[in-house]
Amino acid sequence: MRALHLTATTSLLAGLIIVLASCGGMKSSPDKFSSHAEYLSAGQQVSCKECHENELKGTMKSMVSFSHTPVFVKSHGHYAATEDRLCASCHKDSFCNDCHASRSEIKPSTLYGYRPDREMPHRGDFMTLHKIEGKLDPASCNTCHGRSNNERCSGCHR
Amino acid sequence: MKLLLAHIILPAGLVLTTTPALLSAAEITPDATTIIRFEQRDLGSEEQNLIPVTQYLGLDATKLADGNLSLHVHGWGRVDLDETSYGDSKNSGDLSYGYLRYHIAKTDADIRAGRFFVREGIVNEQVDGISARTDLPFGFTLSAFGGATVHKQDLNNENSDGKGDYLAGGRLGYRYKGLLDIGISGVYEDEAPTLVNHVNGSNRKVGGDIWFSPHRSFELVGHTSYNTETSEVAEHRYLLNLRPATDLTISGEYSDQRDQSLLYTWAMFSAPRINPDNKARLSGVTVSYGAAKPATIFLHYKHYDREAGNADRYGGDLKLNFLDNSLRAGVSYFYLDADDAFAIPGTASASYHNIRAYAMHDTKSYFASVDALCQLFDEDIRNEDTAYEASLSLGYHLTPTLALSGDISYGKNPEYQEETKGLIRLTYNATYATTGGKK
Repeated sequence: MRALHLTATTSLLAGLIIVLASCGGMKSSPDKFSSHAEYLSAGQQVSCKECHENELKGTMKSMVSFSHTPVFVKSHGHYAATEDRLCASCHKDSFCNDCHASRSEIKPSTLYGYRPDREMPHRGDFMTLHKIEGKLDPASCNTCHGRSNNERCSGCHR
Repeated sequence: MKLLLAHIILPAGLVLTTTPALLSAAEITPDATTIIRFEQRDLGSEEQNLIPVTQYLGLDATKLADGNLSLHVHGWGRVDLDETSYGDSKNSGDLSYGYLRYHIAKTDADIRAGRFFVREGIVNEQVDGISARTDLPFGFTLSAFGGATVHKQDLNNENSDGKGDYLAGGRLGYRYKGLLDIGISGVYEDEAPTLVNHVNGSNRKVGGDIWFSPHRSFELVGHTSYNTETSEVAEHRYLLNLRPATDLTISGEYSDQRDQSLLYTWAMFSAPRINPDNKARLSGVTVSYGAAKPATIFLHYKHYDREAGNADRYGGDLKLNFLDNSLRAGVSYFYLDADDAFAIPGTASASYHNIRAYAMHDTKSYFASVDALCQLFDEDIRNEDTAYEASLSLGYHLTPTLALSGDISYGKNPEYQEETKGLIRLTYNATYATTGGKK
């Protein structure tokens, strides 16, 4: 209990220190390579194949395989399972962690309430819907809540 | 292993990030989000008032030491200022990951030590330990990991979360030009503990994965996993993408699941007790047009075939973006047509319509969004034929890296007669400005 209290308090203090520290010394955004992946604004997408005809270095796979189409976004797990180093060229681990945390405190769609454009699970009243969806496709629950991130489940499922 | 993580690896990482000689060319990007939530729930017989304060904190320090070493940490802590928001305690926290990574460019190899996630083929685990991955000659790749299982909250009325204490695994892969990537992978976990009120199983699986694309207009990707405890295939899951024209993708997906083997380690539902005959076959077709265009259309259909009954889900999404992506909007709809076997006990139907619309505007100074979601049930659930939630979010970029925002939402649904939620959010993210960086 004390450890948890200490963790929470330390996190809050550290966060405040960083926030205060950030108020000084801001730099302007660069204007070169404005279309390249790491220079995109949050949520902005480009089509890699507009510039890249060849395959992706290291993966030996064509660029088109990784264009973030709606199909790719919904099936990204297939690609992350073998190419997470490629994901990491643009995304931090914490980007995956927004949804795939082993212990999640806030529903992703609430954490990112200002980003309704992002694909987030369990929007709205999923408490009701999970009683239907869980019976329909329990494997989809198990993927994230099977052995971890199941604190909320244990509140009712005893 | 946790002692190793807590007393050696993380402190070592912090020392590395604060030692001037090692910091000469280092790039350190912290990010932090503070969220104060205000929630009021009308449960009928009582009203709940919650004010949890949650702090997310992350740090990425790269180009340490000889330039190939980096440190990555992310976690959160929460304190309740009013009623307990969850469980028995008014505070909680978690270290999601915290590891040192050393990269060897010559062979594109990585060595990680600490707490991290492993995603290798059919393996998806969180580990306190060490992992290594490297490219080998002739197109082969090899990865391996080992360490302590990351234990989380105990199951109800148990002194364990049902996991074994140690696990190890890895993947051996082979790539041929830009045509083929295949691999075999597996995980072996220590014997699962015996539980009093649940039945659980040990986490031991092997499997294979494939990516095959003889032409850029054709792509097959998927995996098959095998549960060595039940001696049965747990799952086949495959996706076929056809790209007959620029920006047009037609996909077919198929998965075949054996519940007992696939859900074997899900102790909360005593998965080993699941009827071995329980199977599911999911198949679907999607059509996607446009990516990074002003308009993206996505149409989908999926058929669920389970022992208990069948269901179909079909619908579509339309996403729009204008003004150099600063203005984004979308609408989506689907209908789930499900057999009554999937209905909530006490209700007559599991079928419902789902409708959503949103819009957001993100400028250099302010950002704003509206989001509305509605479900129309074919038959009443707890005397409600509709559930809805509407949200409004407003924010201001105080600096390129620091933003203050607030959300408010109101909804009615069968679970909560009324649900009003609000939050204040302070976000600092150094990677959203200056030199670009990962998102």
